[in-house]
Amino acid sequence: MHKTSSLSDLGFDAAGASSGFFRPVADDSTHSSSSAPHRRLTKVSVIGAGNVGMAIAQTILTQNLADEIALVDALPDKLRGEALDLQHAAAFLPRVRIVSGTDHAVTASSDLVVITAGARQNPGEARLSLLRRNVELFRKIVPPVAEHSPDALLLVVSNPVDVLTYVAWKLSGFPANRVIGSGTNLDSSRFRFLVAEHLDVNAQDVQAYMVGEHGDSSLAIWSTISVAGMPAFKSLRDSHHSFDEAALEGIRRAVVGGAYEVIGLKGYTSWAIGYSVASLAASLLRDQRRVHPVSVLASGFHGISDGHDVFLSLPARLGRGGVLGVAEMDLTEVEAAQLRRSAKTLWENCQLLDL
Amino acid sequence: MSMKKEASSLSELGFDVNFGAGFFRQVPPSGCDNGEGTQRRRRPTKVSVIGAGDVGMAIAQTILTQGLADEIALVDADAGRVRGEMLDLQHAAAFLPRVRIVAGTDVLALTRGSDLAIVTLPGARPVGHHGVELLRKNVAVLREVVPAVAEGSPDSLLLVVSNPVDVLAYAAWKLSGFPASRVIGSGTNLDSSRLRRLLADHLGVGAQDVHAYMVGEHGGTAVALWSSISVGGMPVLSYLQKTHASFDGEALEGIRRAVVGGAREVIGLKGYASWAIGYSVASLARSLLRDQRRVHPVSLLAKGFIPGNDHEVFLSLPARLGRGGVLGVAAELELTADEESTLRRSAETLWEHCQALGI
Repeated sequence: MHKTSSLSDLGFDAAGASSGFFRPVADDSTHSSSSAPHRRLTKVSVIGAGNVGMAIAQTILTQNLADEIALVDALPDKLRGEALDLQHAAAFLPRVRIVSGTDHAVTASSDLVVITAGARQNPGEARLSLLRRNVELFRKIVPPVAEHSPDALLLVVSNPVDVLTYVAWKLSGFPANRVIGSGTNLDSSRFRFLVAEHLDVNAQDVQAYMVGEHGDSSLAIWSTISVAGMPAFKSLRDSHHSFDEAALEGIRRAVVGGAYEVIGLKGYTSWAIGYSVASLAASLLRDQRRVHPVSVLASGFHGISDGHDVFLSLPARLGRGGVLGVAEMDLTEVEAAQLRRSAKTLWENCQLLDL
Repeated sequence: MSMKKEASSLSELGFDVNFGAGFFRQVPPSGCDNGEGTQRRRRPTKVSVIGAGDVGMAIAQTILTQGLADEIALVDADAGRVRGEMLDLQHAAAFLPRVRIVAGTDVLALTRGSDLAIVTLPGARPVGHHGVELLRKNVAVLREVVPAVAEGSPDSLLLVVSNPVDVLAYAAWKLSGFPASRVIGSGTNLDSSRLRRLLADHLGVGAQDVHAYMVGEHGGTAVALWSSISVGGMPVLSYLQKTHASFDGEALEGIRRAVVGGAREVIGLKGYASWAIGYSVASLARSLLRDQRRVHPVSLLAKGFIPGNDHEVFLSLPARLGRGGVLGVAAELELTADEESTLRRSAETLWEHCQALGI
């Protein structure tokens, strides 16, 4: 199948095509040509063009968050097909430059790099083995990405996200405020959705945080549930016939299990994580100062030892500079202890990775 | 993997479903209140997507992201998969305006009250190759789906996306009993975007400023209306001729083939095509639902618009789209003799296919 992504591929003279039909105003200065942009455009790169990476790229495109999108993957045909599939929609979107390549050089000068690449678990493979393979994969990805975009923000989506965000931080050499993991941002959305449906109110009017280690051990912080700014935990408790730990745990498991249910039904998840990451991208790129529960360097918070450089999700203020600050939540002793326990397990895993 | 059904609502977990009314209480009824309370007076905008495969879901998700509907219904024969797709969209609730999303296998029940019903059917395997067998299978699906949609949504607009789109749009029209103005096929809307993109990149302008129409039968014989190409409202054909060393019909044909081959190129590379058709159909949905009166090349009842063709066939022509569907079709197209005869030939071929359907 021959490449036909431009008229020059078809023999049309590309040089001067534009300046023939449109000519620049007369300018007798010796400055650089009018086609050079004077202010850099916003560029987002997505590493990994699978279901997750493409849902993220496409949502960022639809929401018009970037002027340039770069896609990277190891499979050249799949990659080129995905890029073309987005490019063909040009007439329906504002102009966005879409580039792709198997070489990370295509990500140069990114404002934000989203990493979704991850090794697939082999049947019966131990968790540590899979983790080590992911570290090797990140060794191939992160250093070149960091070199090509030394000022970028790094957003890790690949699982296990907390460990891999730590890995990306170590391999990039970036300050910790510029490396975050998607963490429990989506879990929190699921949490808010459940509560919002129950109260018949818009999910954007429900605040509720899942924090800690993304996955089965994430923590639902009940005291953070508020509706239109008003604490709702007590009311929720009153609406359950036998409110207890089991009831709360049931909600938490429904949230955590949500991803597994989707995977069991359609084979993978894509749309929700796409919206979740696009929401983070908007806060970061447009300097929104919004608070999101994302995986950040958590040492020093809630009694987590300063020397234990672990990443786990806490409510963080995000803006153009990355993590601008982390909220000190009012946790119960039980919650703080659970957080510290997760941190300890994560730290032990990180120690085994030779970074 | 076990398909454990997780709780997707707090009431499934034992929370009192009538609780919401406690946290928020209604204003006291007044004398002139006839008791409707919180009932909506104007129906929310509802879009149904029938077929939750790659194409259907790209369409549904783009419509959701672009805020074009208040309610989205997803219908598919695969109950598990469509439920998974619904959940995957619902889980993003905190990142989107509130949209009611329902899903299942019952076409009539789920699509009832739609403003726009979009039909995507099982594609060909291998993807991209379609023949008589696929046509027969898809028409059989339409026979089940379309009457149910028409029954539950007698005022709806109907938009057919699957291939061969012109024949299937005709079949959907016949099976629905709708006026032809309310039934369209996605036709050459996306092909035209591909043409516009190629020209736009060449000229260094935004594709939205390039107007260029592909018309006729969607597929290999679609016609590029070269005389219609304009940039910022200015005709550009003669300029293009100047920038190509040996400009001739062959060069134009090369472009046309690149455009109609675009889908097959994507399919050959990634296995299927989804994003572009998603944006294309969402663009049509916006023009229709928001009464935009924008002109799109879509597959419509072309009887009377092609000199020499009197058949009731659907093929793509530039049409003004709005809330009522096809508000008007471009009637003053400047066609060369070749373009006219190609369209006539397409109409003949399509008519043969349509007659063979036995609808």
